[in-house]
Amino acid sequence: MQGFKKLFTVLSISTFIALSVLILGPPLAAQEPTNQELLERIEALEEELQYFRDILEANTEKATEARERAVAAEAKAEEATRTAESAAASRTARPLSDTKWHLAGYADAGAMFRTNGGDDTFAFGHFNPVFHFQYKDIVMFEGELEFEIDEDGKTEVALEYATLNFLVHDNVSIVVGKFLSPIGQFQERLHPTWINKIGYAPAGFGHDGAQPSSEIGVQVRGGISIGKRSMVNYAVMVGNGPRMGHEGGLELEGFGRDDNQNKAFGGRIGFLPVPYFEIGGSYMKAAVNGLEGTGALMPTTGKVKIWGADAAYTRGPWDFRFEYLNTVRGALNSAEEEGGEVEALDRLVLKAWYVQLAYRLSEITSSPFLRRLEPVVRYGKFNISGNHHLEEENAQTRLNIGLNYWIAPSLVARIGYEQRKFLVEGIKEKLILLQAAYGF
Amino acid sequence: MKLLKNLVLASAFSGLIMGSGLVLAGDPADPSRPDPAQIARGAKAWADQCGRCHNMRAPAELNDEDWYVSVTHMRVRGNIPGDMIRDIQAFLMASNKKE
Repeated sequence: MQGFKKLFTVLSISTFIALSVLILGPPLAAQEPTNQELLERIEALEEELQYFRDILEANTEKATEARERAVAAEAKAEEATRTAESAAASRTARPLSDTKWHLAGYADAGAMFRTNGGDDTFAFGHFNPVFHFQYKDIVMFEGELEFEIDEDGKTEVALEYATLNFLVHDNVSIVVGKFLSPIGQFQERLHPTWINKIGYAPAGFGHDGAQPSSEIGVQVRGGISIGKRSMVNYAVMVGNGPRMGHEGGLELEGFGRDDNQNKAFGGRIGFLPVPYFEIGGSYMKAAVNGLEGTGALMPTTGKVKIWGADAAYTRGPWDFRFEYLNTVRGALNSAEEEGGEVEALDRLVLKAWYVQLAYRLSEITSSPFLRRLEPVVRYGKFNISGNHHLEEENAQTRLNIGLNYWIAPSLVARIGYEQRKFLVEGIKEKLILLQAAYGF
Repeated sequence: MKLLKNLVLASAFSGLIMGSGLVLAGDPADPSRPDPAQIARGAKAWADQCGRCHNMRAPAELNDEDWYVSVTHMRVRGNIPGDMIRDIQAFLMASNKKE
Protein backbone atom coordinates (compact mmCIF):
# COMPACT_ATOMS: atom_id res chain seq x y z
CA MET A 1 0.00 0.00 0.00
CA GLN A 2 2.74 2.44 1.04
CA GLY A 3 4.69 1.59 -2.11
CA PHE A 4 1.80 2.53 -4.31
CA LYS A 5 1.36 5.81 -2.51
CA LYS A 6 5.03 6.63 -2.95
CA LEU A 7 4.88 5.64 -6.57
CA PHE A 8 1.84 7.78 -7.07
CA THR A 9 3.52 10.75 -5.36
CA VAL A 10 6.71 10.40 -7.37
CA LEU A 11 4.79 10.05 -10.59
CA SER A 12 2.62 13.02 -9.75
CA ILE A 13 5.66 15.23 -8.99
CA SER A 14 7.48 13.96 -12.06
CA THR A 15 4.47 14.61 -14.20
CA PHE A 16 4.06 18.06 -12.73
CA ILE A 17 7.73 18.93 -13.38
CA ALA A 18 7.58 17.45 -16.82
CA LEU A 19 4.46 19.34 -17.68
CA SER A 20 5.87 22.56 -16.21
CA VAL A 21 9.07 22.18 -18.15
CA LEU A 22 7.26 21.33 -21.30
CA ILE A 23 4.81 24.17 -20.96
CA LEU A 24 6.96 26.93 -19.43
CA GLY A 25 10.19 26.42 -21.28
CA PRO A 26 12.25 23.56 -22.66
CA PRO A 27 16.05 23.45 -22.18
CA LEU A 28 17.95 25.40 -24.70
CA ALA A 29 19.95 22.40 -25.67
CA ALA A 30 16.91 20.43 -26.56
CA GLN A 31 15.56 20.21 -29.99
CA GLU A 32 12.40 22.29 -30.02
CA PRO A 33 9.35 20.13 -30.49
CA THR A 34 6.35 21.19 -32.38
CA ASN A 35 3.10 22.06 -30.59
CA GLN A 36 1.56 18.92 -31.90
CA GLU A 37 4.34 16.82 -30.42
CA LEU A 38 3.98 18.56 -27.09
CA LEU A 39 0.26 17.89 -27.03
CA GLU A 40 0.83 14.23 -27.83
CA ARG A 41 3.38 13.97 -25.03
CA ILE A 42 0.99 15.63 -22.61
CA GLU A 43 -1.78 13.25 -23.60
CA ALA A 44 0.57 10.28 -23.22
CA LEU A 45 1.60 11.45 -19.79
CA GLU A 46 -2.03 12.02 -18.81
CA GLU A 47 -2.90 8.50 -19.92
CA GLU A 48 0.00 7.16 -17.92
CA LEU A 49 -1.12 9.13 -14.90
CA GLN A 50 -4.69 7.81 -15.27
CA TYR A 51 -3.34 4.26 -15.52
CA PHE A 52 -1.54 4.58 -12.21
CA ARG A 53 -4.58 6.23 -10.64
CA ASP A 54 -6.69 3.23 -11.70
CA ILE A 55 -4.17 0.85 -10.18
CA LEU A 56 -4.17 2.81 -6.97
CA GLU A 57 -7.97 2.88 -6.80
CA ALA A 58 -8.23 -0.87 -7.40
CA ASN A 59 -5.71 -1.57 -4.69
CA THR A 60 -7.53 0.73 -2.29
CA GLU A 61 -10.73 -1.32 -2.81
CA LYS A 62 -8.81 -4.54 -2.24
CA ALA A 63 -7.33 -3.11 0.91
CA THR A 64 -10.80 -2.21 2.26
CA GLU A 65 -12.07 -5.70 1.49
CA ALA A 66 -9.04 -7.25 3.18
CA ARG A 67 -9.60 -5.10 6.25
CA GLU A 68 -13.25 -6.26 6.48
CA ARG A 69 -12.13 -9.87 6.17
CA ALA A 70 -9.63 -9.36 8.94
CA VAL A 71 -12.33 -7.95 11.24
CA ALA A 72 -14.59 -10.96 10.51
CA ALA A 73 -11.75 -13.38 11.11
CA GLU A 74 -11.00 -11.69 14.40
CA ALA A 75 -14.64 -12.10 15.48
CA LYS A 76 -14.56 -15.78 14.54
CA ALA A 77 -11.37 -16.25 16.45
CA GLU A 78 -12.96 -14.68 19.53
CA GLU A 79 -15.98 -16.98 19.16
CA ALA A 80 -13.74 -20.02 18.78
CA THR A 81 -11.85 -18.97 21.89
CA ARG A 82 -15.11 -18.72 23.85
CA THR A 83 -16.22 -22.15 22.60
CA ALA A 84 -12.89 -23.65 23.54
CA GLU A 85 -13.11 -22.08 27.00
CA SER A 86 -16.64 -23.44 27.40
CA ALA A 87 -15.53 -26.91 26.32
CA ALA A 88 -12.61 -26.72 28.69
CA ALA A 89 -15.00 -25.78 31.48
CA SER A 90 -17.16 -28.79 30.58
CA ARG A 91 -14.16 -31.07 30.66
CA THR A 92 -13.31 -29.93 34.13
CA ALA A 93 -16.94 -30.34 35.32
CA ARG A 94 -17.53 -33.06 37.88
CA PRO A 95 -18.40 -36.26 36.02
CA LEU A 96 -21.82 -37.75 36.67
CA SER A 97 -21.89 -40.64 39.06
CA ASP A 98 -23.18 -44.08 38.06
CA THR A 99 -26.25 -43.65 40.24
CA LYS A 100 -28.18 -40.51 39.55
CA TRP A 101 -31.52 -39.29 40.83
CA HIS A 102 -34.02 -36.55 40.25
CA LEU A 103 -37.12 -35.42 42.12
CA ALA A 104 -39.83 -34.21 39.78
CA GLY A 105 -43.61 -34.02 39.87
CA TYR A 106 -46.41 -31.52 39.84
CA ALA A 107 -48.89 -29.76 42.07
CA ASP A 108 -52.01 -27.73 41.55
CA ALA A 109 -54.62 -25.81 43.48
CA GLY A 110 -57.72 -23.98 42.41
CA ALA A 111 -61.31 -23.05 42.89
CA MET A 112 -64.61 -24.10 41.34
CA PHE A 113 -67.68 -21.90 41.07
CA ARG A 114 -71.05 -23.29 40.01
CA THR A 115 -73.10 -20.84 38.00
CA ASN A 116 -76.42 -22.64 38.44
CA GLY A 117 -76.55 -23.56 42.08
CA GLY A 118 -74.37 -25.76 44.26
CA ASP A 119 -71.46 -24.87 46.47
CA ASP A 120 -68.53 -22.81 45.30
CA THR A 121 -65.34 -24.26 46.64
CA PHE A 122 -61.62 -23.88 46.85
CA ALA A 123 -59.79 -27.09 46.13
CA PHE A 124 -56.28 -28.31 46.62
CA GLY A 125 -56.04 -30.58 43.65
CA HIS A 126 -52.90 -32.64 43.69
CA PHE A 127 -49.40 -32.93 45.00
CA ASN A 128 -47.68 -35.62 42.97
CA PRO A 129 -43.98 -36.10 43.67
CA VAL A 130 -42.19 -38.30 41.16
CA PHE A 131 -38.94 -40.03 42.10
CA HIS A 132 -36.41 -41.05 39.46
CA PHE A 133 -33.36 -43.14 40.24
CA GLN A 134 -31.06 -44.27 37.45
CA TYR A 135 -28.11 -46.66 37.41
CA LYS A 136 -25.92 -45.96 34.39
CA ASP A 137 -27.94 -46.41 31.21
CA ILE A 138 -29.09 -49.79 32.39
CA VAL A 139 -32.07 -49.30 34.65
CA MET A 140 -34.28 -46.56 35.98
CA PHE A 141 -36.74 -46.75 38.85
CA GLU A 142 -39.54 -44.25 38.78
CA GLY A 143 -42.44 -43.87 41.12
CA GLU A 144 -45.21 -41.31 41.50
CA LEU A 145 -47.27 -40.74 44.61
CA GLU A 146 -50.49 -38.78 44.60
CA PHE A 147 -51.58 -36.79 47.63
CA GLU A 148 -55.09 -35.42 47.61
CA ILE A 149 -57.41 -33.94 50.22
CA ASP A 150 -60.95 -35.24 50.13
CA GLU A 151 -64.10 -33.24 50.86
CA ASP A 152 -63.88 -34.09 54.56
CA GLY A 153 -60.31 -32.90 54.88
CA LYS A 154 -58.66 -36.29 54.95
CA THR A 155 -55.43 -36.76 53.07
CA GLU A 156 -55.54 -39.54 50.54
CA VAL A 157 -52.38 -41.13 49.24
CA ALA A 158 -52.17 -43.34 46.18
CA LEU A 159 -49.35 -44.94 44.25
CA GLU A 160 -49.90 -43.74 40.70
CA TYR A 161 -47.11 -45.85 39.29
CA ALA A 162 -43.86 -47.49 40.35
CA THR A 163 -41.75 -49.24 37.75
CA LEU A 164 -38.32 -50.57 37.00
CA ASN A 165 -37.42 -49.63 33.46
CA PHE A 166 -34.68 -51.70 31.84
CA LEU A 167 -33.04 -49.87 28.95
CA VAL A 168 -32.09 -52.98 27.03
CA HIS A 169 -31.69 -51.44 23.59
CA ASP A 170 -31.96 -48.03 21.94
CA ASN A 171 -35.35 -49.10 20.63
CA VAL A 172 -36.56 -51.30 23.49
CA SER A 173 -37.27 -50.74 27.16
CA ILE A 174 -38.79 -53.36 29.42
CA VAL A 175 -41.01 -51.93 32.13
CA VAL A 176 -42.11 -53.98 35.14
CA GLY A 177 -44.33 -52.96 38.01
CA LYS A 178 -47.34 -50.69 38.19
CA PHE A 179 -47.40 -48.46 35.14
CA LEU A 180 -49.75 -45.94 33.57
CA SER A 181 -51.87 -47.65 30.98
CA PRO A 182 -50.50 -47.18 27.47
CA ILE A 183 -54.02 -47.43 26.03
CA GLY A 184 -54.82 -44.10 24.40
CA GLN A 185 -52.83 -40.89 24.87
CA PHE A 186 -54.51 -38.90 27.65
CA GLN A 187 -53.75 -41.04 30.67
CA GLU A 188 -50.13 -41.75 29.95
CA ARG A 189 -49.04 -38.46 28.44
CA LEU A 190 -51.43 -35.64 29.18
CA HIS A 191 -53.05 -36.10 32.57
CA PRO A 192 -50.61 -34.06 34.75
CA THR A 193 -52.33 -30.76 35.36
CA TRP A 194 -49.45 -28.64 34.09
CA ILE A 195 -49.54 -30.55 30.78
CA ASN A 196 -53.30 -30.93 30.43
CA LYS A 197 -54.39 -27.72 28.71
CA ILE A 198 -57.74 -27.70 30.47
CA GLY A 199 -56.53 -28.94 33.85
CA TYR A 200 -59.30 -31.50 34.24
CA ALA A 201 -59.89 -34.80 32.44
CA PRO A 202 -62.28 -35.03 29.50
CA ALA A 203 -65.54 -36.86 30.13
CA GLY A 204 -64.91 -40.61 30.11
CA PHE A 205 -61.15 -40.30 30.56
CA GLY A 206 -61.05 -40.13 34.35
CA HIS A 207 -62.26 -42.50 37.05
CA ASP A 208 -65.24 -44.65 36.02
CA GLY A 209 -64.43 -43.82 32.43
CA ALA A 210 -63.63 -45.81 29.32
CA GLN A 211 -59.86 -45.44 29.60
CA PRO A 212 -57.73 -47.74 31.78
CA SER A 213 -55.67 -45.68 34.21
CA SER A 214 -52.95 -48.15 35.16
CA GLU A 215 -51.87 -51.76 35.03
CA ILE A 216 -49.61 -54.08 36.99
CA GLY A 217 -47.50 -56.35 34.84
CA VAL A 218 -44.85 -56.16 32.15
CA GLN A 219 -44.50 -53.76 29.29
CA VAL A 220 -42.19 -53.72 26.28
CA ARG A 221 -41.96 -50.33 24.62
CA GLY A 222 -39.83 -48.00 22.59
CA GLY A 223 -39.47 -45.87 19.51
CA ILE A 224 -37.85 -46.49 16.13
CA SER A 225 -36.70 -43.73 13.79
CA ILE A 226 -37.62 -44.14 10.14
CA GLY A 227 -35.50 -41.98 7.90
CA LYS A 228 -34.68 -38.47 9.04
CA ARG A 229 -38.05 -37.30 10.32
CA SER A 230 -40.50 -40.19 10.75
CA MET A 231 -40.88 -42.45 13.75
CA VAL A 232 -42.88 -45.38 15.00
CA ASN A 233 -43.48 -45.92 18.69
CA TYR A 234 -45.02 -48.88 20.41
CA ALA A 235 -46.01 -50.28 23.80
CA VAL A 236 -47.08 -53.88 24.39
CA MET A 237 -48.25 -54.96 27.82
CA VAL A 238 -49.41 -57.94 29.82
CA GLY A 239 -51.01 -57.30 33.19
CA ASN A 240 -53.38 -58.48 35.87
CA GLY A 241 -56.24 -56.68 34.19
CA PRO A 242 -59.38 -54.89 35.35
CA ARG A 243 -62.07 -55.96 37.80
CA MET A 244 -65.76 -55.42 38.19
CA GLY A 245 -66.57 -52.11 39.82
CA HIS A 246 -69.57 -50.85 41.70
CA GLU A 247 -73.02 -50.97 40.15
CA GLY A 248 -71.93 -53.13 37.26
CA GLY A 249 -69.18 -50.84 36.07
CA LEU A 250 -65.51 -51.55 35.45
CA GLU A 251 -62.46 -50.73 37.51
CA LEU A 252 -59.90 -50.21 34.77
CA GLU A 253 -56.80 -49.96 36.90
CA GLY A 254 -53.88 -51.98 38.14
CA PHE A 255 -54.68 -54.52 40.85
CA GLY A 256 -52.01 -56.19 42.93
CA ARG A 257 -53.31 -59.69 42.25
CA ASP A 258 -54.96 -61.34 39.30
CA ASP A 259 -58.30 -62.79 40.35
CA ASN A 260 -58.77 -64.90 37.23
CA GLN A 261 -56.67 -66.68 34.68
CA ASN A 262 -57.21 -64.05 32.03
CA LYS A 263 -54.40 -61.59 31.90
CA ALA A 264 -54.99 -58.26 30.23
CA PHE A 265 -53.07 -58.04 26.97
CA GLY A 266 -52.82 -54.96 24.83
CA GLY A 267 -50.85 -51.97 23.72
CA ARG A 268 -50.62 -49.00 21.47
CA ILE A 269 -48.76 -48.23 18.29
CA GLY A 270 -48.15 -44.71 17.06
CA PHE A 271 -46.81 -43.35 13.79
CA LEU A 272 -45.27 -39.93 13.28
CA PRO A 273 -44.73 -39.14 9.58
CA VAL A 274 -43.27 -35.84 10.81
CA PRO A 275 -42.30 -35.01 14.39
CA TYR A 276 -45.32 -32.76 14.98
CA PHE A 277 -48.06 -35.12 13.82
CA GLU A 278 -48.90 -38.46 15.39
CA ILE A 279 -51.66 -40.97 14.87
CA GLY A 280 -52.08 -43.90 17.17
CA GLY A 281 -54.17 -46.99 17.68
CA SER A 282 -54.76 -48.94 20.89
CA TYR A 283 -56.20 -52.33 21.75
CA MET A 284 -56.64 -54.31 24.93
CA LYS A 285 -58.44 -57.50 25.83
CA ALA A 286 -59.08 -58.88 29.28
CA ALA A 287 -61.75 -60.55 31.37
CA VAL A 288 -63.48 -59.76 34.64
CA ASN A 289 -65.07 -62.03 37.21
CA GLY A 290 -68.60 -61.33 38.36
CA LEU A 291 -68.81 -60.25 42.01
CA GLU A 292 -69.86 -62.87 44.56
CA GLY A 293 -73.23 -62.40 46.18
CA THR A 294 -76.52 -63.90 47.11
CA GLY A 295 -79.31 -65.44 45.04
CA ALA A 296 -79.70 -68.36 42.69
CA LEU A 297 -77.26 -67.21 40.02
CA MET A 298 -73.55 -67.93 40.19
CA PRO A 299 -71.08 -65.25 39.10
CA THR A 300 -69.58 -65.74 35.65
CA THR A 301 -66.73 -64.21 33.71
CA GLY A 302 -67.21 -61.49 31.13
CA LYS A 303 -64.80 -60.48 28.38
CA VAL A 304 -63.49 -56.95 28.17
CA LYS A 305 -62.33 -55.43 24.91
CA ILE A 306 -61.04 -51.93 24.37
CA TRP A 307 -59.97 -50.27 21.18
CA GLY A 308 -59.16 -46.70 20.45
CA ALA A 309 -57.61 -44.19 18.10
CA ASP A 310 -55.86 -40.92 18.79
CA ALA A 311 -54.14 -38.12 16.94
CA ALA A 312 -52.04 -35.12 17.86
CA TYR A 313 -50.84 -32.13 15.84
CA THR A 314 -48.37 -29.98 17.75
CA ARG A 315 -46.67 -27.66 15.30
CA GLY A 316 -45.50 -24.28 16.54
CA PRO A 317 -48.17 -22.56 18.64
CA TRP A 318 -50.86 -25.09 17.66
CA ASP A 319 -51.83 -28.02 19.83
CA PHE A 320 -54.62 -30.21 18.49
CA ARG A 321 -55.69 -33.49 20.09
CA PHE A 322 -58.26 -36.10 19.29
CA GLU A 323 -58.96 -39.34 21.07
CA TYR A 324 -61.62 -42.01 20.89
CA LEU A 325 -62.04 -45.08 23.07
CA ASN A 326 -64.55 -47.90 22.84
CA THR A 327 -64.73 -50.16 25.87
CA VAL A 328 -66.99 -53.21 25.96
CA ARG A 329 -67.66 -55.57 28.84
CA GLY A 330 -69.55 -58.67 27.81
CA ALA A 331 -72.71 -59.86 29.54
CA LEU A 332 -72.11 -61.76 32.78
CA ASN A 333 -73.64 -62.73 36.08
CA SER A 334 -72.48 -60.49 38.89
CA ALA A 335 -73.62 -58.68 42.00
CA GLU A 336 -73.63 -54.90 41.55
CA GLU A 337 -71.88 -54.60 44.91
CA GLU A 338 -69.87 -57.25 46.76
CA GLY A 339 -72.32 -59.40 48.74
CA GLY A 340 -75.41 -58.15 46.92
CA GLU A 341 -77.73 -60.24 44.81
CA VAL A 342 -76.15 -61.80 41.75
CA GLU A 343 -77.93 -60.67 38.59
CA ALA A 344 -77.55 -61.18 34.87
CA LEU A 345 -75.91 -57.95 33.69
CA ASP A 346 -76.22 -56.78 30.11
CA ARG A 347 -73.34 -56.07 27.83
CA LEU A 348 -71.85 -52.70 28.85
CA VAL A 349 -70.54 -50.33 26.20
CA LEU A 350 -68.57 -47.18 27.07
CA LYS A 351 -67.65 -44.77 24.29
CA ALA A 352 -65.65 -41.66 25.01
CA TRP A 353 -64.08 -39.09 22.72
CA TYR A 354 -62.87 -35.54 22.69
CA VAL A 355 -61.30 -33.00 20.40
CA GLN A 356 -59.15 -30.21 21.80
CA LEU A 357 -57.53 -27.20 20.21
CA ALA A 358 -55.14 -24.76 21.85
CA TYR A 359 -53.21 -21.87 20.32
CA ARG A 360 -50.38 -19.97 21.95
CA LEU A 361 -50.46 -16.28 21.03
CA SER A 362 -46.67 -15.96 21.01
CA GLU A 363 -46.60 -16.20 17.21
CA ILE A 364 -48.90 -13.27 16.54
CA THR A 365 -47.92 -10.63 19.06
CA SER A 366 -44.78 -9.19 20.56
CA SER A 367 -46.52 -8.02 23.73
CA PRO A 368 -44.80 -9.73 26.69
CA PHE A 369 -48.19 -10.26 28.35
CA LEU A 370 -50.19 -11.46 25.34
CA ARG A 371 -47.43 -13.82 24.21
CA ARG A 372 -48.01 -15.88 27.34
CA LEU A 373 -51.70 -16.42 26.71
CA GLU A 374 -53.11 -19.61 25.26
CA PRO A 375 -56.82 -19.96 24.53
CA VAL A 376 -58.08 -23.53 24.47
CA VAL A 377 -61.35 -25.25 23.65
CA ARG A 378 -62.34 -28.87 24.13
CA TYR A 379 -65.50 -30.76 23.39
CA GLY A 380 -66.15 -34.38 24.23
CA LYS A 381 -68.82 -36.96 24.78
CA PHE A 382 -69.15 -39.98 27.04
CA ASN A 383 -71.81 -42.47 25.97
CA ILE A 384 -72.85 -45.42 28.10
CA SER A 385 -75.23 -48.20 27.15
CA GLY A 386 -76.15 -51.41 28.95
CA ASN A 387 -76.36 -49.98 32.46
CA HIS A 388 -78.99 -47.34 33.08
CA HIS A 389 -77.66 -46.24 36.44
CA LEU A 390 -74.16 -45.58 35.12
CA GLU A 391 -75.60 -43.91 32.06
CA GLU A 392 -77.73 -41.61 34.18
CA GLU A 393 -74.80 -40.74 36.41
CA ASN A 394 -72.01 -40.27 33.90
CA ALA A 395 -73.13 -40.11 30.27
CA GLN A 396 -72.66 -36.53 29.15
CA THR A 397 -71.28 -34.06 26.70
CA ARG A 398 -68.68 -31.70 28.05
CA LEU A 399 -67.62 -28.35 26.63
CA ASN A 400 -64.60 -26.52 27.99
CA ILE A 401 -63.40 -23.07 27.04
CA GLY A 402 -60.30 -21.89 28.81
CA LEU A 403 -57.47 -19.41 28.86
CA ASN A 404 -54.00 -20.34 30.05
CA TYR A 405 -51.43 -17.79 31.14
CA TRP A 406 -47.96 -19.34 31.05
CA ILE A 407 -45.86 -17.71 33.76
CA ALA A 408 -43.04 -20.13 32.90
CA PRO A 409 -42.89 -23.17 30.60
CA SER A 410 -44.15 -25.43 33.40
CA LEU A 411 -46.08 -22.93 35.52
CA VAL A 412 -49.55 -21.92 34.43
CA ALA A 413 -52.50 -19.97 35.80
CA ARG A 414 -55.78 -20.69 34.07
CA ILE A 415 -59.42 -19.81 34.02
CA GLY A 416 -62.01 -21.94 32.32
CA TYR A 417 -65.68 -22.43 31.72
CA GLU A 418 -67.13 -25.93 31.69
CA GLN A 419 -70.57 -27.04 30.65
CA ARG A 420 -71.69 -30.58 31.35
CA LYS A 421 -74.90 -31.77 29.77
CA PHE A 422 -76.09 -35.08 31.22
CA LEU A 423 -77.58 -37.14 28.45
CA VAL A 424 -80.28 -39.04 30.32
CA GLU A 425 -81.96 -36.22 32.21
CA GLY A 426 -80.81 -33.34 30.04
CA ILE A 427 -79.51 -31.41 33.08
CA LYS A 428 -76.83 -28.81 32.40
CA GLU A 429 -74.15 -28.07 34.92
CA LYS A 430 -72.06 -24.95 34.42
CA LEU A 431 -68.78 -24.32 36.19
CA ILE A 432 -66.12 -21.64 36.33
CA LEU A 433 -62.75 -23.21 37.06
CA LEU A 434 -59.64 -21.45 38.34
CA GLN A 435 -56.39 -23.31 38.68
CA ALA A 436 -52.67 -22.82 39.12
CA ALA A 437 -50.48 -25.76 38.16
CA TYR A 438 -46.75 -26.23 38.43
CA GLY A 439 -44.64 -29.01 36.96
CA PHE A 440 -41.25 -29.36 38.61
CA MET B 1 -51.72 -71.18 29.86
CA LYS B 2 -53.05 -67.91 28.53
CA LEU B 3 -50.47 -66.05 30.55
CA LEU B 4 -47.80 -68.18 28.96
CA LYS B 5 -49.23 -67.44 25.53
CA ASN B 6 -49.28 -63.73 26.23
CA LEU B 7 -45.75 -63.73 27.54
CA VAL B 8 -44.56 -65.67 24.52
CA LEU B 9 -46.23 -63.15 22.24
CA ALA B 10 -44.71 -60.25 24.13
CA SER B 11 -41.29 -61.88 24.11
CA ALA B 12 -41.54 -62.69 20.42
CA PHE B 13 -42.44 -59.10 19.67
CA SER B 14 -39.58 -57.69 21.69
CA GLY B 15 -37.24 -60.30 20.24
CA LEU B 16 -38.23 -59.24 16.76
CA ILE B 17 -37.39 -55.66 17.53
CA MET B 18 -34.18 -56.53 19.29
CA GLY B 19 -33.16 -58.79 16.45
CA SER B 20 -30.91 -56.11 15.09
CA GLY B 21 -28.64 -56.69 18.08
CA LEU B 22 -29.56 -57.05 21.71
CA VAL B 23 -27.04 -55.23 23.78
CA LEU B 24 -27.13 -53.38 27.02
CA ALA B 25 -27.04 -49.73 26.13
CA GLY B 26 -24.13 -49.17 28.55
CA ASP B 27 -22.61 -45.81 29.31
CA PRO B 28 -23.42 -43.00 26.92
CA ALA B 29 -20.77 -40.87 25.29
CA ASP B 30 -18.69 -39.01 27.81
CA PRO B 31 -20.81 -35.93 28.50
CA SER B 32 -17.74 -33.96 29.54
CA ARG B 33 -16.47 -34.01 25.95
CA PRO B 34 -19.35 -32.68 23.92
CA ASP B 35 -19.37 -33.34 20.21
CA PRO B 36 -20.62 -30.23 18.35
CA ALA B 37 -22.45 -32.36 15.77
CA GLN B 38 -24.18 -34.32 18.53
CA ILE B 39 -25.18 -31.10 20.26
CA ALA B 40 -26.66 -29.80 17.01
CA ARG B 41 -28.62 -33.03 16.53
CA GLY B 42 -29.72 -32.84 20.14
CA ALA B 43 -31.03 -29.30 19.77
CA LYS B 44 -33.20 -30.37 16.86
CA ALA B 45 -34.42 -33.52 18.59
CA TRP B 46 -35.18 -31.52 21.74
CA ALA B 47 -37.31 -29.10 19.72
CA ASP B 48 -39.02 -31.93 17.84
CA GLN B 49 -39.74 -34.36 20.65
CA CYS B 50 -40.36 -32.43 23.87
CA GLY B 51 -43.06 -30.19 22.43
CA ARG B 52 -45.13 -33.20 21.39
CA CYS B 53 -46.75 -33.32 24.84
CA HIS B 54 -45.74 -30.27 26.86
CA ASN B 55 -43.97 -26.93 26.76
CA MET B 56 -40.23 -27.12 26.38
CA ARG B 57 -38.45 -26.19 29.56
CA ALA B 58 -35.40 -23.95 29.27
CA PRO B 59 -32.07 -25.82 29.48
CA ALA B 60 -30.99 -23.63 32.40
CA GLU B 61 -33.87 -24.92 34.56
CA LEU B 62 -32.00 -28.07 35.56
CA ASN B 63 -28.42 -29.08 36.24
CA ASP B 64 -26.56 -31.84 34.38
CA GLU B 65 -27.64 -34.70 36.61
CA ASP B 66 -31.28 -33.64 36.71
CA TRP B 67 -31.39 -33.32 32.93
CA TYR B 68 -29.69 -36.64 32.43
CA VAL B 69 -32.21 -38.50 34.58
CA SER B 70 -35.22 -36.51 33.44
CA VAL B 71 -34.45 -37.15 29.78
CA THR B 72 -33.97 -40.87 30.45
CA HIS B 73 -37.45 -40.84 32.00
CA MET B 74 -38.77 -39.36 28.75
CA ARG B 75 -36.96 -42.05 26.77
CA VAL B 76 -39.34 -44.55 28.35
CA ARG B 77 -42.46 -42.43 28.72
CA GLY B 78 -42.19 -40.74 25.34
CA ASN B 79 -40.94 -43.80 23.44
CA ILE B 80 -37.94 -41.87 22.14
CA PRO B 81 -35.03 -43.90 20.68
CA GLY B 82 -31.92 -44.12 22.86
CA ASP B 83 -29.55 -42.53 20.33
CA MET B 84 -31.83 -39.51 20.08
CA ILE B 85 -32.00 -39.33 23.86
CA ARG B 86 -28.20 -39.18 24.12
CA ASP B 87 -28.19 -36.31 21.61
CA ILE B 88 -30.79 -34.44 23.67
CA GLN B 89 -28.83 -35.05 26.87
CA ALA B 90 -25.66 -33.74 25.23
CA PHE B 91 -27.46 -30.63 24.03
CA LEU B 92 -29.13 -29.83 27.36
CA MET B 93 -25.99 -30.48 29.37
CA ALA B 94 -23.98 -28.21 27.07
CA SER B 95 -26.62 -25.47 27.14
CA ASN B 96 -27.65 -25.26 30.77
CA LYS B 97 -24.69 -23.27 32.05
CA LYS B 98 -25.60 -19.73 33.02
CA GLU B 99 -23.13 -17.07 31.83
